[in-house]
Amino acid sequence: MHITGWTVALAALGAVPAALTQSRTVAWAWVIGVVVLALVDVWLAPPTHAVGVRREASGSVRLTQSTATRLTVANVGRRRARGAVRDAWQPSAGASGDRHAFALAPGETATFRTMLRPTRRGDRHAGPVTVRTFGPLRLAGRQRSLEAPARLRVLPEFASRRHLPSRLVRLREIDGRTAVRLKGAGAEFDSLRDYVIGDDVRSIDWRGTARRGEVVVRTYRPERDRRVVIALDSARLSAARVGDAPRLDASIEAALLLAALASHAGDRVQATAFDRAEQARAASTGSRIVATLADALAAVEPSLLEPDWPALVRLVESRVSQRSLVVLLTTVDTSAMDSGMLEAVAALQRRHQVLVGSVEDPELGELMAGRADADAVYDAGAASRAMLEREAVATRLRQLGAEVVLALPDDLAPAVCDRYLALKAAGRL
Amino acid sequence: MTAPAAAPPSPPEGLVTTARGPGLRARARRGRLGIVAAVLLLGLVAMLVIGARPGDYVPLSTENSTPTGTRALAQILRAHGVEVRQVDRLARSAVRDPAATTVVIAHASLLTGGQLRSLVDYPGDLVLLGESGDALAALGIEATEEPVLLPETVEAGCADPDALAAGTARVDVLGLEPTGGTAELCFTQRSGLAAFARADDGARTVTAIASAELLTNAGLDSAGHAALAIRSIGAHPEAVWYVADGFDPSLLTWVGSGGGEVPTEVEATPDFLPPGTGTALYALALAVLVAAFWRARRFGALVREPLPVEVRASEATRGRARLYRRARATGRSAASLRAAAALRMGRRLGVGRADGRDALLGAVARATGRAETDVDRLLYGPPPADDAALLSLISELDALESEVHRP
Repeated sequence: MHITGWTVALAALGAVPAALTQSRTVAWAWVIGVVVLALVDVWLAPPTHAVGVRREASGSVRLTQSTATRLTVANVGRRRARGAVRDAWQPSAGASGDRHAFALAPGETATFRTMLRPTRRGDRHAGPVTVRTFGPLRLAGRQRSLEAPARLRVLPEFASRRHLPSRLVRLREIDGRTAVRLKGAGAEFDSLRDYVIGDDVRSIDWRGTARRGEVVVRTYRPERDRRVVIALDSARLSAARVGDAPRLDASIEAALLLAALASHAGDRVQATAFDRAEQARAASTGSRIVATLADALAAVEPSLLEPDWPALVRLVESRVSQRSLVVLLTTVDTSAMDSGMLEAVAALQRRHQVLVGSVEDPELGELMAGRADADAVYDAGAASRAMLEREAVATRLRQLGAEVVLALPDDLAPAVCDRYLALKAAGRL
Repeated sequence: MTAPAAAPPSPPEGLVTTARGPGLRARARRGRLGIVAAVLLLGLVAMLVIGARPGDYVPLSTENSTPTGTRALAQILRAHGVEVRQVDRLARSAVRDPAATTVVIAHASLLTGGQLRSLVDYPGDLVLLGESGDALAALGIEATEEPVLLPETVEAGCADPDALAAGTARVDVLGLEPTGGTAELCFTQRSGLAAFARADDGARTVTAIASAELLTNAGLDSAGHAALAIRSIGAHPEAVWYVADGFDPSLLTWVGSGGGEVPTEVEATPDFLPPGTGTALYALALAVLVAAFWRARRFGALVREPLPVEVRASEATRGRARLYRRARATGRSAASLRAAAALRMGRRLGVGRADGRDALLGAVARATGRAETDVDRLLYGPPPADDAALLSLISELDALESEVHRP
């Protein structure tokens, strides 16, 4: 049960007779009378089981965008029902206007919309729907909470998609679909065409020239249908905050942009998020990969575990049988020395091309530039030491043949894509 | 084709409703044990509340059985057939017959002006105990109260029959110093302070016992104290006992004080605010209780939010910086900064780490036009000894690096 503000107002009105009679008995009698009236009102209120609710499936929404969720309220009782419902959601679902008043005749239904503007990635769950019915006097009523589970999947923001058009232009250049022809692009034979001055004489196809009587050159194009495996490290180090988001979020941005670009380039993309075990998996061809990947990665949360690198190697080996580009979005750190990351990269590099992407902390750059006083210089010394240690690991990775991209959170996605394009242009995929 | 005229709209699919709960009787049957336990607990709490009345520790109160109380005196008076009635508000005294009642006021100095005037108007006998202040002069005893520095037991030394019957009494704590008037002072010690004073204006007597210690449970059985107390207070068949507390503004009431019947408590309490304000506030306070129930009932429970881990990536580096600072590790900091600068300059000039120290020195010297020994001192020189040396080294190193990076 619950009481309304009217009950309080009516109780406060008791001050008038109490002042006139100057009797506390009258004050008590008034308040007890009001309470009895409220109890009678509760008794007269429609029962809560006469009201049914239904939540519509909410689907998904991109972070920073808003959506509406629908709540249907039906009167399944025999009497007219007047009341209110609260459509409760987690605070991070950003629900506004989640209370709705209703007045329904028997058998009637009403549908309400609650605006949601989520503030965090992942699955946002709805709380119970609370139903209040009012008695005829509007003094009090009954209240009951109903479990009507609903889930809103909040997809990653994919803010890096603004980098996609410029990367697609680059891709078309290498692909030979633009007017501008790039020398040495790709390794796969495409077609023969007439020689024009400026072409590399090494690309002249002598057999064709002999057959045609004119000098013809071979043209190449980048390989298509390559395999790209994106592995996101969702373990301990990915939980650390860089700027105001965890490292994992920057990795997800990079994975999405790379997947979009690679799918345009005709490559087959699959992705996995792992720590001790695989947390999420997405594989698809064509343009659907971005949506699939965003949906799969939305619910991945960093875990405070050490990553199991040998298990990742086994996972990748079981998923791809041919040479692929393995993109490891992780953290290059001194702990890589003893966590088995180097061994894993070495093992993967034997059959595949490995690209390691790591998020740099802008705060380290600020610390390294500090010169204000002796304390700031000690900070700079510590930051420099950290940078040197990271460089040493990166150098070790490069010696193993892997490509290493260290970039600030906002720059990681375009930097990884640029490296991918460079690898593609050089025919190293 | 005729459409069904009044087909009730069918409820939508997938509707969630609460199950119809069990009736009141079923619920009571199921929770029988709980109800019994609750009733027992309630009874226990009620018994404890009723049984545990706080003890009375107010000095000179007839309920107080400690040495400062007057319970012994009250019991002796009752044994002598005097009805002793203690009131906690002056207005509750409601004296029926002033001629047959003694009104005892302890600590009369705490009385308000209005209360004093009602005492002056009262036609019956009065006894003032302890410090009385302005009440003495108002009731016809011209004396001031002084602290007793030399307590002693003295003879009555006056013509008052009660004092003579008591014989001796101890002057202690507080005494009366006469300032004229007709009141009779008894038990006067050497410094001139009296323990007892009595003024008789023909219609009534006003007795002041300034040394009230002689009435307490502790002092009643010594000297002639018991006789003095019993004769002073037990002169009439009824005694109304009031210990002033300063929080009670109500007036003394007796038959005739309101012009006929005994006035009610409300009438005997002087008002500072319009009549009824107190009760109105009382009613509003009850409404506040109702408002608390209104606000306390939430519209559904809070929804739990699993919070993410909040660890800054730079925390390990900051911790290491604090260690450097605490240890004043100038050498280690300088080495790190030098190595970082060398790495950046080497990258800029195309000198790899593997090329060695001499290759880097030569390249930097060529790029900046500095002497190779100077560059060597900056990049590979001895570690700085203190903070000042570290700061100057780093500023020189920054200057060198900016020269290398100059286009």
